[in-house]
Amino acid sequence: MKVRVLYFAAARDLASVESERVPLKERASVGDLAGEIVRLHPSLKALERSVRFSVNFEVAERDAPLRDGDEVGVLPPVAGG
Amino acid sequence: MKVKKTAMITRRPIDPSKVLAAAADDAAGGAVLFVGTIRKKSDGKRVRGLSYEVYREMAERKMGDIEAEARRRWPVIGIAMSHRYGELEVGEVSVAVAVSCEHRADAFEACRYSIDAIKGTLPMWKKERFADGTETWVKGAPIEG
Repeated sequence: MKVRVLYFAAARDLASVESERVPLKERASVGDLAGEIVRLHPSLKALERSVRFSVNFEVAERDAPLRDGDEVGVLPPVAGG
Repeated sequence: MKVKKTAMITRRPIDPSKVLAAAADDAAGGAVLFVGTIRKKSDGKRVRGLSYEVYREMAERKMGDIEAEARRRWPVIGIAMSHRYGELEVGEVSVAVAVSCEHRADAFEACRYSIDAIKGTLPMWKKERFADGTETWVKGAPIEG
Protein backbone atom coordinates (compact mmCIF):
# COMPACT_ATOMS: atom_id res chain seq x y z
CA MET A 1 0.00 0.00 0.00
CA LYS A 2 0.96 3.62 -0.34
CA VAL A 3 0.20 6.69 1.74
CA ARG A 4 0.55 10.33 0.79
CA VAL A 5 2.89 12.15 3.17
CA LEU A 6 2.88 15.93 3.57
CA TYR A 7 5.83 17.63 5.28
CA PHE A 8 5.39 21.00 6.96
CA ALA A 9 7.62 23.78 8.22
CA ALA A 10 10.89 22.47 9.71
CA ALA A 11 10.02 18.93 8.54
CA ARG A 12 9.76 20.13 4.95
CA ASP A 13 13.03 22.03 5.27
CA LEU A 14 14.81 18.93 6.57
CA ALA A 15 13.24 16.46 4.12
CA SER A 16 13.64 18.90 1.21
CA VAL A 17 10.29 17.72 -0.12
CA GLU A 18 6.72 18.98 0.33
CA SER A 19 4.88 15.75 -0.31
CA GLU A 20 5.50 12.24 -1.58
CA ARG A 21 3.90 8.83 -1.84
CA VAL A 22 5.52 6.34 0.52
CA PRO A 23 5.10 2.57 0.02
CA LEU A 24 4.54 0.59 3.21
CA LYS A 25 3.88 -3.03 4.04
CA GLU A 26 0.26 -3.97 4.63
CA ARG A 27 -1.09 -3.16 8.10
CA ALA A 28 1.69 -0.66 8.74
CA SER A 29 1.13 1.83 11.57
CA VAL A 30 1.93 5.51 11.94
CA GLY A 31 5.01 4.44 13.91
CA ASP A 32 6.17 2.29 10.96
CA LEU A 33 5.79 5.30 8.68
CA ALA A 34 7.74 7.44 11.17
CA GLY A 35 10.63 5.01 10.87
CA GLU A 36 10.35 4.86 7.10
CA ILE A 37 10.50 8.62 6.54
CA VAL A 38 13.61 8.88 8.71
CA ARG A 39 15.14 6.11 6.57
CA LEU A 40 14.21 8.07 3.42
CA HIS A 41 15.34 11.42 4.86
CA PRO A 42 17.90 10.86 7.64
CA SER A 43 17.96 14.57 8.51
CA LEU A 44 14.41 14.16 9.88
CA LYS A 45 15.97 12.35 12.83
CA ALA A 46 16.42 15.80 14.41
CA LEU A 47 12.62 16.06 14.71
CA GLU A 48 11.95 12.44 15.57
CA ARG A 49 10.97 13.10 19.16
CA SER A 50 9.00 16.31 18.73
CA VAL A 51 7.02 15.59 15.57
CA ARG A 52 3.40 14.37 15.59
CA PHE A 53 1.33 12.93 12.79
CA SER A 54 -2.13 13.46 11.38
CA VAL A 55 -4.02 10.81 9.44
CA ASN A 56 -6.76 12.16 7.20
CA PHE A 57 -6.73 15.48 9.10
CA GLU A 58 -6.92 14.08 12.64
CA VAL A 59 -3.98 13.78 15.02
CA ALA A 60 -3.01 10.11 15.31
CA GLU A 61 -0.88 8.16 17.77
CA ARG A 62 2.02 5.97 16.66
CA ASP A 63 0.03 2.76 17.03
CA ALA A 64 -2.75 3.96 14.72
CA PRO A 65 -3.15 1.76 11.63
CA LEU A 66 -2.69 3.16 8.12
CA ARG A 67 -4.65 2.30 5.00
CA ASP A 68 -3.86 2.60 1.33
CA GLY A 69 -4.43 6.17 0.15
CA ASP A 70 -4.34 7.79 3.61
CA GLU A 71 -3.05 11.36 3.81
CA VAL A 72 -0.48 11.71 6.58
CA GLY A 73 0.77 15.08 7.82
CA VAL A 74 4.21 15.33 9.41
CA LEU A 75 3.61 18.05 11.99
CA PRO A 76 6.47 19.69 13.90
CA PRO A 77 5.45 21.49 17.14
CA VAL A 78 2.81 24.04 16.16
CA ALA A 79 2.91 27.79 16.72
CA GLY A 80 -0.26 29.41 15.45
CA GLY A 81 -1.89 32.51 16.91
CA MET B 1 -32.34 32.29 18.19
CA LYS B 2 -30.33 32.82 15.03
CA VAL B 3 -26.99 31.01 14.90
CA LYS B 4 -24.14 32.64 13.02
CA LYS B 5 -20.78 31.18 12.24
CA THR B 6 -17.70 31.91 10.22
CA ALA B 7 -14.24 30.39 10.25
CA MET B 8 -11.53 31.48 7.88
CA ILE B 9 -7.94 30.76 7.00
CA THR B 10 -6.90 33.64 4.80
CA ARG B 11 -3.90 35.14 3.10
CA ARG B 12 -5.49 38.59 3.09
CA PRO B 13 -5.36 41.16 5.92
CA ILE B 14 -7.88 40.54 8.71
CA ASP B 15 -10.33 43.28 9.66
CA PRO B 16 -11.20 42.55 13.32
CA SER B 17 -14.38 44.66 13.10
CA LYS B 18 -15.69 42.26 10.45
CA VAL B 19 -14.93 39.26 12.66
CA LEU B 20 -16.75 40.97 15.51
CA ALA B 21 -19.71 41.78 13.25
CA ALA B 22 -19.89 38.16 12.13
CA ALA B 23 -20.28 37.04 15.76
CA ALA B 24 -22.67 39.83 16.79
CA ASP B 25 -26.34 39.17 17.34
CA ASP B 26 -29.32 41.06 18.76
CA ALA B 27 -29.91 38.23 21.20
CA ALA B 28 -26.45 38.70 22.73
CA GLY B 29 -25.77 40.90 25.74
CA GLY B 30 -22.13 41.21 24.80
CA ALA B 31 -19.31 40.04 22.59
CA VAL B 32 -15.64 39.45 23.34
CA LEU B 33 -13.09 40.04 20.59
CA PHE B 34 -9.50 38.82 20.79
CA VAL B 35 -7.01 40.20 18.29
CA GLY B 36 -3.51 38.74 17.96
CA THR B 37 -0.81 40.90 16.40
CA ILE B 38 2.83 40.58 15.40
CA ARG B 39 5.22 41.68 18.19
CA LYS B 40 8.26 43.74 17.33
CA LYS B 41 10.60 41.85 19.64
CA SER B 42 11.19 38.17 20.31
CA ASP B 43 13.80 36.97 22.82
CA GLY B 44 15.19 40.48 22.78
CA LYS B 45 15.77 40.45 19.03
CA ARG B 46 14.13 42.91 16.71
CA VAL B 47 11.58 41.21 14.44
CA ARG B 48 10.92 42.40 10.90
CA GLY B 49 8.04 40.07 10.21
CA LEU B 50 6.66 36.56 10.37
CA SER B 51 5.89 33.94 7.75
CA TYR B 52 2.95 31.71 8.67
CA GLU B 53 2.50 28.30 7.16
CA VAL B 54 -0.68 26.24 7.43
CA TYR B 55 -1.95 22.76 6.67
CA ARG B 56 -5.04 24.38 5.36
CA GLU B 57 -7.50 21.56 4.97
CA MET B 58 -6.79 20.24 8.45
CA ALA B 59 -6.78 23.73 10.00
CA GLU B 60 -10.21 24.51 8.58
CA ARG B 61 -11.58 21.30 10.06
CA LYS B 62 -9.97 22.09 13.41
CA MET B 63 -11.62 25.52 13.42
CA GLY B 64 -14.94 23.74 12.97
CA ASP B 65 -14.09 21.49 15.92
CA ILE B 66 -13.20 24.52 18.09
CA GLU B 67 -16.48 26.18 17.26
CA ALA B 68 -18.44 23.02 18.02
CA GLU B 69 -16.64 22.53 21.34
CA ALA B 70 -17.16 26.18 22.35
CA ARG B 71 -20.86 25.81 21.60
CA ARG B 72 -21.02 22.56 23.54
CA ARG B 73 -19.41 24.11 26.64
CA TRP B 74 -20.98 27.58 26.66
CA PRO B 75 -24.27 29.08 25.45
CA VAL B 76 -22.62 30.72 22.45
CA ILE B 77 -24.85 32.73 20.13
CA GLY B 78 -22.29 33.90 17.58
CA ILE B 79 -18.69 32.84 17.03
CA ALA B 80 -16.28 33.86 14.29
CA MET B 81 -12.56 33.37 13.80
CA SER B 82 -9.98 34.23 11.17
CA HIS B 83 -6.32 33.27 11.00
CA ARG B 84 -3.97 34.72 8.47
CA TYR B 85 -1.06 32.97 6.79
CA GLY B 86 1.72 34.02 4.45
CA GLU B 87 3.99 37.02 5.04
CA LEU B 88 3.05 39.38 7.89
CA GLU B 89 4.76 42.54 9.13
CA VAL B 90 5.13 43.83 12.70
CA GLY B 91 1.84 45.23 14.00
CA GLU B 92 -0.36 43.32 11.58
CA VAL B 93 -3.23 41.15 12.78
CA SER B 94 -2.49 37.43 12.61
CA VAL B 95 -5.64 36.12 14.26
CA ALA B 96 -9.02 37.38 15.47
CA VAL B 97 -11.70 35.53 17.42
CA ALA B 98 -15.07 36.92 18.47
CA VAL B 99 -17.74 35.29 20.62
CA SER B 100 -21.14 36.66 21.60
CA CYS B 101 -23.34 35.31 24.37
CA GLU B 102 -26.28 36.50 26.42
CA HIS B 103 -23.94 37.19 29.32
CA ARG B 104 -20.35 38.44 29.36
CA ALA B 105 -18.84 35.77 31.60
CA ASP B 106 -19.67 33.06 29.06
CA ALA B 107 -18.38 35.20 26.19
CA PHE B 108 -15.03 35.80 27.94
CA GLU B 109 -14.58 32.13 28.76
CA ALA B 110 -15.59 30.85 25.34
CA CYS B 111 -13.32 33.37 23.60
CA ARG B 112 -10.40 32.43 25.87
CA TYR B 113 -11.01 28.76 25.15
CA SER B 114 -11.17 29.41 21.40
CA ILE B 115 -7.90 31.36 21.11
CA ASP B 116 -6.11 28.80 23.30
CA ALA B 117 -7.47 25.99 21.10
CA ILE B 118 -6.41 27.86 17.96
CA LYS B 119 -2.86 28.01 19.32
CA GLY B 120 -2.89 24.41 20.52
CA THR B 121 -4.74 22.46 17.85
CA LEU B 122 -4.33 24.26 14.52
CA PRO B 123 -1.58 22.87 12.27
CA MET B 124 0.19 26.19 11.79
CA TRP B 125 3.80 27.26 12.02
CA LYS B 126 5.60 30.57 11.94
CA LYS B 127 9.06 31.63 10.94
CA GLU B 128 10.45 34.80 12.47
CA ARG B 129 12.37 37.09 10.17
CA PHE B 130 14.74 39.24 12.21
CA ALA B 131 16.03 42.71 11.41
CA ASP B 132 19.59 41.29 11.24
CA GLY B 133 18.58 39.12 8.26
CA THR B 134 18.41 35.79 10.11
CA GLU B 135 15.25 33.73 10.34
CA THR B 136 14.08 30.82 12.43
CA TRP B 137 11.00 28.62 13.01
CA VAL B 138 9.30 29.62 16.23
CA LYS B 139 9.66 26.89 18.81
CA GLY B 140 6.12 25.62 19.24
CA ALA B 141 4.35 22.95 21.25
CA PRO B 142 3.27 19.47 20.13
CA ILE B 143 -0.11 19.71 18.43
CA GLU B 144 -2.92 18.72 20.79
CA GLY B 145 -5.43 16.11 19.83
